[in-house]
Order: sequence, then structure tokens, then C-alpha cells
Amino acid sequence: MRIQVNARNRAFQFEAATGEKILYAGLRAQAGLPYECATGTCGTCKAKLISGSLDDGWTQAPGKKYLKAEGEFLMCQCAALGDVAIEVASFVYPIDPGLCRMAALEGTVQSVRALTHDISAIEVVLDTPCEFDAGQFMAIRAPGVQGMRGYSMVNFDRPARALEFIVKKKNGGGFSDWLFSGKAPGARLELFGPLGKATFHPDLARNILCIAGGTGIAGMVSILSRACRARYFDPHQGHVFFGVRTMKDTFYLEELASFASEFPANLSITIALSDEDVPASAAQRFPSLAFARGMVHDVAKHAMAGKYQNVRAYLAGPPPAVDAAIRVLLLEAKLTTDNIRYDKFS
Amino acid sequence: MTNSAREPLTSFGGTRPLVCKVAEVPENGLKECAIEGGLKLVVANAGGEFFGYQAMCPHQDVALCEGLFDGSTLTCHMHLWQWDIRTGAPLGIAESPLQRYPLAREGDALYLGGEATALDVGELFNGLGEGTLEALAKLARREEFAEGSVLYKLGDPAEDFFVLESGRVEFQIGRDERVNPAGFMLKKGEVFGWAALLENHPQRIASARALEKSAVLRINGKQALKVLESDPESGYVAMRRLAGLIARFLAAAGAK
Repeated sequence: MRIQVNARNRAFQFEAATGEKILYAGLRAQAGLPYECATGTCGTCKAKLISGSLDDGWTQAPGKKYLKAEGEFLMCQCAALGDVAIEVASFVYPIDPGLCRMAALEGTVQSVRALTHDISAIEVVLDTPCEFDAGQFMAIRAPGVQGMRGYSMVNFDRPARALEFIVKKKNGGGFSDWLFSGKAPGARLELFGPLGKATFHPDLARNILCIAGGTGIAGMVSILSRACRARYFDPHQGHVFFGVRTMKDTFYLEELASFASEFPANLSITIALSDEDVPASAAQRFPSLAFARGMVHDVAKHAMAGKYQNVRAYLAGPPPAVDAAIRVLLLEAKLTTDNIRYDKFS
Repeated sequence: MTNSAREPLTSFGGTRPLVCKVAEVPENGLKECAIEGGLKLVVANAGGEFFGYQAMCPHQDVALCEGLFDGSTLTCHMHLWQWDIRTGAPLGIAESPLQRYPLAREGDALYLGGEATALDVGELFNGLGEGTLEALAKLARREEFAEGSVLYKLGDPAEDFFVLESGRVEFQIGRDERVNPAGFMLKKGEVFGWAALLENHPQRIASARALEKSAVLRINGKQALKVLESDPESGYVAMRRLAGLIARFLAAAGAK
């Protein structure tokens, strides 16, 4: 099927396979179509049908509440039923050919392991390896679950044959219910990616600040893996703040402690506990980590005062936590907007 | 030729609509105000001066009153688009200006002072010297185009440029059967046909057609350049913006 996209500045033409979502077909063809979650929630990939007809794969997608005018649809949910022409009311540029190519992938769930009482790590072995940048995510479809969900890669390898993701237990969350039902090991998954623009590359040459709430730490661990392997924290500083409620909600502390002990002078990692005082045992068990009581953005604000020179910030986590961190970074730290990176995909 | 381009486009029949009480907008804060007739504005208090803008972010449907405001820069919290609160001009990664609504203060209340014209909000001329804006407005002729009608064709002489007031204008490149869409204009104040402002570009390189009923301001390029030359400070700002605008259309991969 031939897809024509009329954007504010130019048009794009590309082919889509039968059943392939228009957004994915476009991204695969290096058209930088607008998206954020790429999984039906945020409404960013809204477009308008000019001619042809579409098959809407998920009529109940939450992002449909952003559709107003006649003919509007979500590119991440609709496939073309023949040649179509659509209009996207934003500037669209070709994707930088130097970035990792996006593709439809398939893989098998290798293992599921509990990290806390309500968070599990899932390892997926891909049929064919892929390349991604630290901080990116994949859209993933579980068997029998409506729509796809976005999860950040935790690991960093290039190329990567296995991908690790973390999933929080959430009643009524299709993917989460499926994963925690015990049916996951050995299951086949469809993936699309890598997605997301909150990426880290060692040629950044800035000090980095990561503020993550809960499962938002996933992409930060990938960034730290990449940075540590490139010995990025020899010349640059890293400040990482990981917020959870209590000690029993923490995970990946061994991994974080090992990053911090590798670069004691320049990499500081702080665990912020919002709902309990820091137990004395925490610092004893993890001497290379710092612990503090408070909301993660407050803890970061207190610790970072006067240290914002040449900083690139990465944010991830529940939307209220990300918004609170943005407020601190823009209004108090006076960072410029191009140095505040996050993907609002959850 | 008319000089109507800068007169308010809406008249309120003598009674100006109430926007809000002055005290309702906190110092260096924002407030969303619903005005009789359905218009919604975000009102900013910048150190005791009040500015009114469209209530929703032009990027996606996000209420700007939930954004961040430090007294001079307004930031939409969703994707960090930013604007200069005094002019509505885009800053940083923002791709389009905010539509400004002049406010009039009477006693303890703010009233709608009219609607800013396409030239006032325009991406090239917004915030230029008052005399220069007046002179440009005198050059502007307002024209309306029915849906489907052609503003200019490929190869036509490029003497005038256009400022979109309302509607939607689409461009096409190529000839005969080999035509391709080359973008479209839909925001009040957007400028097109800017070949008329360049040296050595006497012909249209695309054709322009109204996709729906549209109104534009038509301005002669050579005469506009003369006006800008006589006020080099404004002219410099306008030319810098023109360069940015052209770059936005030509941007290559990774060079956004």
C-alpha cells in the first residue's frame, strides 16, 4: 500500500505492509513522523485522512480523546486498507540516517524475575539482533493483549540480541496482567523500535543529571551502562537520583552501587525515599550510594544547588514526578529546554 | 490599496468584553479566562503588565495556564515550547508563535482590546517598530480566496508575498502530472511567497492554492524591503526571522 503524508513543510511517500500501522511504516521509511508513546495513549501522532480508508486496530485507545475533527485518527493504531493520503499538521523531516533504524521485531520471553513485590524484570531474546541508543524504548505486544505498550531497555549492547525491560504490576493494565499471570516465559512477542528521543551518546561532552521515579530508572541504567563502558565519568560528572517510596520498593541497587564504585570521584547516585526515613542498614549495605528522605525532585534540587553548569538532564517516571523535576530544572536551575530530555510514553 | 490591515478585525459593538479582574492574576503568574462568546485566553501578569494569549498551546491541546512562567518566558509543561511573554514570539524549540489578544486595563479589571491582526502576530513582523508596522500595513491589501482557488502558479512573477489571516493554503511543486504537495500554511500570521523578499528570485517555485476559504494580506516585496531598509533595526530582525523560516522549510535530516 502506498502512503502519502502531507506535512506542513513537505510531503513523504512510503510503502506500508498489510496491517502495518501507518506510524511504524513511516518511521521504518525514515520519515520523522510525530509520536511520543507510539502506543495509543498520548495523541501526538494524530493525523487527518484525506483519501482512502483505514483499519483502526484499537478503537478504545485512550489517545483517541485528542481526536476532534472529522477524519482524524492515530497513526500508531491505524493501518491502511489500500493507498491512502493523509495530512499531518506539523513540520516533518527525514530521520537522521545516523540514528538507529527502526524496525518491526519479534522475540521470545527468556525469563521473568521479580525485582520487588510489584516490579519484575523481563528478558526478551530477539530473533534478529537490533541496535538502539541508551535511553530508548520499544513498543511491545503480548499475545492476546489489545494494543502495544512502551518499555525502556535497561541494558545496553550494540548490537543487542537480548533486551531487558522492567514492568510494574498494575491491575487492569493489559500487558502487566499478562506478565504477572505467569504465562510469559517462552511466549512470543512483537516489538517495534527503537523509539524515543531522550537518548545519551558519549560524544555529548556534558555533565549528566538523571532524575527517575520508580520504573523510570530503566532507561537511566541503560545510559549508565553505556557511559561507564565509555569511561564517560573520567572527564565528566554524573548525578543520578532514583526515587521510590520505601526501601522495599528499591531494586537494581547492586548494579547502581557497582557503577558508583567504579567512578567514586565523578559519579554520585542517590536513592530518595519518599515515605520512610532512611534505615541505617541502607548505607552499610551500599556504601557507594547515597540515601535521602524526600520526593526525588526535592532531593535532587537540594543536592544539585550550584552544580548546574554544562548539565544535560534526563527525566523519567510517573508524569507528576517528571513535571515536578521540569519545574525545578527550568525555573530554578535555569537549564535551557534542549538540555532537558524525557519521553512521555507511560 | 487599503490601510485596514491593522484595524481590529472584530468589533464588540461598543462594549468591550470583560476578561477578568486584575487581582485574579497572581504576580508573575497565569490565569485562564473564559470570555463571553466562548473565547478562552491565558492572561499573564509580568511584573504588573498584563498580556493575553490563546489559552491552548499551538502544538497540542495543552492548557497554557498549567505551564511555567517566570515573569518573562512562558513554557508549556508538556513539550517545553517557550514564548516571549511580551510578543508571543517562539523561543527555543517552539515552532510557532502564540496568538496575542491586546488587553485594556480599566480600574481593577482587564478588557479585551480587540484582536491582533495577522501582521501583528506574524512570524516575520511581530514586535517590530510601531512606525514600520504601520508602513507595512499601508502596503497590505486584504484578499479572500474561495476553496480551491489559485493564489499563484509555478513560474508566475514573484512580486508579492502573503501573510495568512485565516484559512489554509497548500503548495505544490512540479509540473503537469508530476506534481507533489510541498507543505501547507494554516496559522494566522504565517508568511508565504517569500521569494518576493529575496534578490534574484523573480519567479514562483511552487504553486499556491486555497484548501478552504482563506483570507490573506498581499504585500509587495520590493516596497516592503524599502520600509525595512528605512528602519534597519526592524529590518535586521525581519531578515533574521526570514532566514530561520527558510531554514525550517529546507531543513535536512538531523538539522532541525
